Amino acid sequence: MKKTILIFSTFLSLLIIQQVKAQEKTISGTVTSKGANATPIPGVNVVVKGTTRGVQTDFDGRYTIEASSSDVLDFSYVGLIPISMTVGASNMIDVSMEENLEQLDDVVVTALGIQKSRKSLTYAAQDINAAELSKVRQTNPVNSLSGKISGVVINRSSSGAGGSVKVTLRGNSSLGNNQPLYVVDGIPLSNPTGGQPIDTFGDLNGGNKDGGDVLALINPDDIESLTVLKGASASALYGSAGLNGVILITTKKGRAGSFKVNFSSNVFAESAAYYIDLNDEAENNIEDFFNSGVTSITSVSASGGTENAQTYFSYSNTFASGVLPTNDLKQHTINIRETAKFFDGVLTANASVLATTQTIDNRPVSGLYFNPLVGAYNFDSPGERLSDYENFEELDSDRNIQSQRWFRATSDIEQNPYWILNRNASEDTNRKLLASMNLKFKISDWLSLQTRGTYDQTFLGYDKEVFATTEATLAPINGRYIFNEQDIRQIYGDVIATINKQFNNITVSANIGASTTRNSIEILNADSGTNGGLQFANVFSIQNFNANPGVSFSQTSLEKKVNSVFASTTIGFNDQLFVDLTARNDWSSSLPSGNNSYFYPSVGLTGVLSEIFDMGDKISFAKIRGSYAEVGNDVPANTVFPERQILFGGGLNPLDPVRPLGEVRPEQQTSYEFGTEWRFFDNRFGFDIGYYHTSTIDQYFQVPVSTGTGSVTVGVNSGDIINQGFEGSVFIVPIQTENFKWTSNINFASNDNEVKEISNPSDDVQIDNQVVSPPGVNTFASYLVEGGSYGDIYAQVVKRDASGRPVVEGGAIVINDENPDNTIAGLEKVGNANPDFTLGWNNSITYKQISLDFLIDGKFGGETISMTEAIVEGLSNNTQRETTNGTIEVANLAGDVSTLTAQEYYGLAGGRNGFTGEYVYSATNVRLAELAIGYNFGLSDSSFFRNIKASLIGNNLLFFYKDAPHDPNVTLSTGNALQGVDILGLPSTRSWGLNINLTF
Amino acid sequence: MKNISNIFLSGIVVFSMVLSSCTDDLEGIDGNPRNITQEQLEVDFQNVGSLYKPMFENIYQYTPPWSYQLQQNLNADVFSGYMTNPRPFVAGANNTTYNLVSGWNNFIWSVPYSNVMNNARTIENETKDEFPELFAVSQILKVTAMHRVSDVFGPIVYTKFGESATTSEYDSQEEVYTAFFNDLEEAIQILSDNIDSPRFTAFDLSYGGNYENWIKYANSLRLRLAIRISKVDPAKAKTEGEKSLSHSNGVIETNADSFFVNGTLDHPIKTINNSWGDIRMNASMESILVGYEDPRIDSYFNASEVNEGEFKGIRNGLPLLPGYDDELAQKADYITFSLLADEVLTPSVQLMTAAEVFFLKAEAALRGWSGTGTAQSNYEQGISTSFQQYSLSGSTDYFSNTTLTPKDYLDPVNPANNIAALSDITIAWDEGASNEEKLERIITQKWIAMFPEGQEAWSEYRRTGYPKIFPVVSNQSGGAIDTDIQIRRIPFVDSELQTNPDGVADAVTKLGGADTPGTRLWWDVAGGNF
Repeated sequence: MKKTILIFSTFLSLLIIQQVKAQEKTISGTVTSKGANATPIPGVNVVVKGTTRGVQTDFDGRYTIEASSSDVLDFSYVGLIPISMTVGASNMIDVSMEENLEQLDDVVVTALGIQKSRKSLTYAAQDINAAELSKVRQTNPVNSLSGKISGVVINRSSSGAGGSVKVTLRGNSSLGNNQPLYVVDGIPLSNPTGGQPIDTFGDLNGGNKDGGDVLALINPDDIESLTVLKGASASALYGSAGLNGVILITTKKGRAGSFKVNFSSNVFAESAAYYIDLNDEAENNIEDFFNSGVTSITSVSASGGTENAQTYFSYSNTFASGVLPTNDLKQHTINIRETAKFFDGVLTANASVLATTQTIDNRPVSGLYFNPLVGAYNFDSPGERLSDYENFEELDSDRNIQSQRWFRATSDIEQNPYWILNRNASEDTNRKLLASMNLKFKISDWLSLQTRGTYDQTFLGYDKEVFATTEATLAPINGRYIFNEQDIRQIYGDVIATINKQFNNITVSANIGASTTRNSIEILNADSGTNGGLQFANVFSIQNFNANPGVSFSQTSLEKKVNSVFASTTIGFNDQLFVDLTARNDWSSSLPSGNNSYFYPSVGLTGVLSEIFDMGDKISFAKIRGSYAEVGNDVPANTVFPERQILFGGGLNPLDPVRPLGEVRPEQQTSYEFGTEWRFFDNRFGFDIGYYHTSTIDQYFQVPVSTGTGSVTVGVNSGDIINQGFEGSVFIVPIQTENFKWTSNINFASNDNEVKEISNPSDDVQIDNQVVSPPGVNTFASYLVEGGSYGDIYAQVVKRDASGRPVVEGGAIVINDENPDNTIAGLEKVGNANPDFTLGWNNSITYKQISLDFLIDGKFGGETISMTEAIVEGLSNNTQRETTNGTIEVANLAGDVSTLTAQEYYGLAGGRNGFTGEYVYSATNVRLAELAIGYNFGLSDSSFFRNIKASLIGNNLLFFYKDAPHDPNVTLSTGNALQGVDILGLPSTRSWGLNINLTF
Repeated sequence: MKNISNIFLSGIVVFSMVLSSCTDDLEGIDGNPRNITQEQLEVDFQNVGSLYKPMFENIYQYTPPWSYQLQQNLNADVFSGYMTNPRPFVAGANNTTYNLVSGWNNFIWSVPYSNVMNNARTIENETKDEFPELFAVSQILKVTAMHRVSDVFGPIVYTKFGESATTSEYDSQEEVYTAFFNDLEEAIQILSDNIDSPRFTAFDLSYGGNYENWIKYANSLRLRLAIRISKVDPAKAKTEGEKSLSHSNGVIETNADSFFVNGTLDHPIKTINNSWGDIRMNASMESILVGYEDPRIDSYFNASEVNEGEFKGIRNGLPLLPGYDDELAQKADYITFSLLADEVLTPSVQLMTAAEVFFLKAEAALRGWSGTGTAQSNYEQGISTSFQQYSLSGSTDYFSNTTLTPKDYLDPVNPANNIAALSDITIAWDEGASNEEKLERIITQKWIAMFPEGQEAWSEYRRTGYPKIFPVVSNQSGGAIDTDIQIRRIPFVDSELQTNPDGVADAVTKLGGADTPGTRLWWDVAGGNF
């Protein structure tokens, strides 16, 4: 960030034509922090105003620079208020810099790596710096955003360490991807996932597993800052991928003149904390079953350099053992970054390489297949403990094989959990390589040209070895082997010309460029299957597959190329008014060749009221902003002319590929937003509030059609999904004295989603709903219905009599039939998975060297279903309420009233395909999300270490309010399906840990 | 400075290169080269040939077995009195207790449409003019698959299949049956005209390319469909039936000519039965086979574990019974009842046997159709052909027995399910008996012989009321189905209700009654059979 400031200020200074020639002398001094515990600040930029001459302070905050007495020195450092000092007569200038509370004058990295001053932005952007990210370390850095940035809804995957994260900015709008785009140092990152679960039952091919995301493959310590551009206007220049907002990741770079080594170690222990209410015996069993998980994240970085070349190097590793026995993660990340200037600074070259390797054993699955939690929750063998079955196999002398041991016959969904963990074990092997190069030519004071290229490769490997005597639904008699590899590549290149020019009171900054992106994916899948089988038991190799059509081998290759040209300009008038214009045209290979071009513009306006009007002392800053944007989007590769598929040993796939009904058109999103930002009382208090409205139309999606047509599904461009809401943040510094300071940030947002239209009448499609989460054979589903909202959840609801008694007829509960308008295929709308309102309250309190940070994170509204509880009540009597002998009054259709015990009633209501309407809970929750108590050791100048900080950290510590038995912030899928339901997901954990940070 | 202008120039060059690439030909980048193009498919005529295997293997779906379980095993195989599920799925609230699970029943519809109708249409488009014999076989397979679908739902999409892009129009069952007869007639004619063409041999999973056998099968299928409509439209039935009976190639008369699909995968019930323990002998099967001391019982079932050495079936439609905490506990008790024997679960799926054809002829004789021979001789030949099918001797003793009758059923784990036999019909032919009694005898024996093909058995049970299979223990239809009359059909599927609401509304009109499981199909006429 500091580097970026340097570049920016260099640009500004270039615009000033005037050149002062005077007698130069050597100035030196020390830069320290303000306050009682003034410490030297290394790395501060010291620039002679109006020139390119600049240095940085060293370890001890000292600098030396040549300047004349009439020069002005600009001191700047990220997070601190910049200071300008006139040199004057003195040769010694010491400066103490103060923390900038809201960094309002700082620059923000926006689309394409273009830096803009925050006040000129015409749309909402909010960021979070390295210090905030590292306070309470998360294995996936994106988890740190929850509650700290308004309007960002974070749902962690229930798949433990290394799991992906679902990030929703301003609501869900697409039937395809709803995740934001991640951009690393200005270049879009390829963020493939190895797949996300959609099935309520579970995936027969290895269980409902999280394919992970690449964010988990980035070392959080390499991140300088995360900036969230929430709307499409912020991202119009990224093209289609930025439709759902953008998260910009700026990584650390080496700095001239300062050599620094940083070492950080985090160790934390976690325990399974939030799951259904079990009876004492089952609770003991489950406590025996779950481990105490331990995660350690260690990273070391070294950075430094000269005026002309800077280096940053880091290595980090993460070792985690999960609460699920045998689940562990190992990850190593290396990041190298080099920056060099040539030809007197005319050419700046920047190169970086990021390499990560990650191995995860037994990544937890949800759903019913291959899930050890089914057996663990439902174990109810009288007189025995679950731990008696830790010895999970015994010799079957008929076959001379070790066979599975369990207290009852195993079933498709239930096996000995220890058998699953040890004999149905899986391994994920993921690797990421991100290499990029950036050349920047400074052609003149006002014009520069840069070209960039990135090679971004993600490899996702999955391997599952299923031993003989595993349940027959999951594996044939000799076992099963599943092997999957995905090689995903993105090659990106662009050229951008940047113009910065000032005409009297008007500043113009413009960018014109072109880019090309080529994405390819190669998938190899081999699975001996549930019917194919292995020749020899328990030998896990492809050559051991039986040669029959029951085994599956498949290869998939997909490729897509998008070429683009774009331009953007920001015109400032007197630093009071800013107009922002962008335009982009894309050509995509995935669209029909005659209709593969689409154009989209955006326009924005900002007025800095505090510059235009004199608002007095109390108002430090005020601005209003508004913008309008369109974004076009192409369709996935292989949509327009899909060819038929060949099945291994099975000839032609009898199912035709899904074909578009008519000509495929690009999708379109239009959005507008406006907001205002105010600061008062010398920045002790301020707020930012905004309104947005997005409408996503003409989405390409697949709709089912009558099978009598000869197709099952066809693709259409249709639909209109609207999201609108408010988002805002408030900051306040209630106490600020020499030794004691308390800063507090409140972030809040609401989103209202409406499905305005599903099918366009002109498309002749007679559907008024679209499946988001298919029910399969279970009783949970999510549909998009005209007039409904994205995330509406559907369940099987009990019919009740006039007094509210459940109706039970012929030994079975009767399905409610009184709400046909809200019922689809026997399932009735019971709620919505998304919160109406989110609120985060982040606090930082420092007293001398002690700091206390805590984050309270709240989500209000929304519902969630505990299918876990339904399943446990359907398969065993292990819940607390089934055990405490309550009774429930029921009636039959004729109106006769009788009584059932809780055990009988929930035995009827439960089950994966039972009356899930009985298991609906409010998803509202307020939790103590993060807590950190730190101590900053005051070190003498002679100490070897420059800084030592230790803190005690806690994560997801407690819920102030929670209705659901599970943690509603955890999701089974970071895709669109399976929201608002827990189906035997790994329970959310509570963790405590220690963080030590050494700088020397 | 020269350096700088060089850099500047090269920058401009790169810039314009990128710009020009925008207008590059993007074509050819889309698509998955691992798939097969139409051009590649036409080599070796695979654009047609490769379509037959899925048709053969999805009339009665081979794989995945869970899909077959929903296509037929948890409906017709149980409703026919052949088999029962030991596990009371959905806490006992499922198809078998008349609490119909729409998510399951979609498969009865979608499997044949996606795998058979589709391919038949492509074959028709690509071969009808050039290689009509290939088209003819496809038509026979199409009728084989779709009469089963119509026999479940009533009106179906048949003659107007594929005519519109998103919705479709149903035919009434009468229209569909007329179309079946026309399609079979056309197919038989084409095959007769091209009897020596070898073109189908490579793709034939039943008769090795022998069209004479295909004609025999088509005639037998036409006879089956004619008998099916014999109550509702006796004249049409007689006309169509007699066409088959008088045809020069005749009908299936030997086990060697029976219609089996010789698939390449395990029989789907084998997995459901042996691996999953999800299907067992039905109490009605036990009552009749044990009562008749029928030697075929050893070919069809294994002795149970629950009463060691004895055959034990399970009553239809068990709810989650009192005393069981959950489905699995109840299953643990019933899984020890009789399994289906491996002998009937070979990779060859039985769709029409010679024995069935004899029983059809026996009934045709009762109805006075010409070209049949006597009812008694066909009846007895049906039994002995069925015995031969399982290499059993003693058929004469068996069909001469005048005393054995179905026996009462006893449930060894839950005596509340005990039930007395519903019929005292004996085996031996009684020429002096009423036509109704004769028909009960014929259909009871046909029912035994057709095992394990539950779809046809359920259809014939509905048409004739025979054999008298036990009613469900728990009827959760809320009055839509009469327990004794039993289930008559499956309502139109959810996928159609959602995607084709107008088409379904029209279909309900054509059904001639409410879209409930109690409504009788067109050929299902209440009252006596004569």
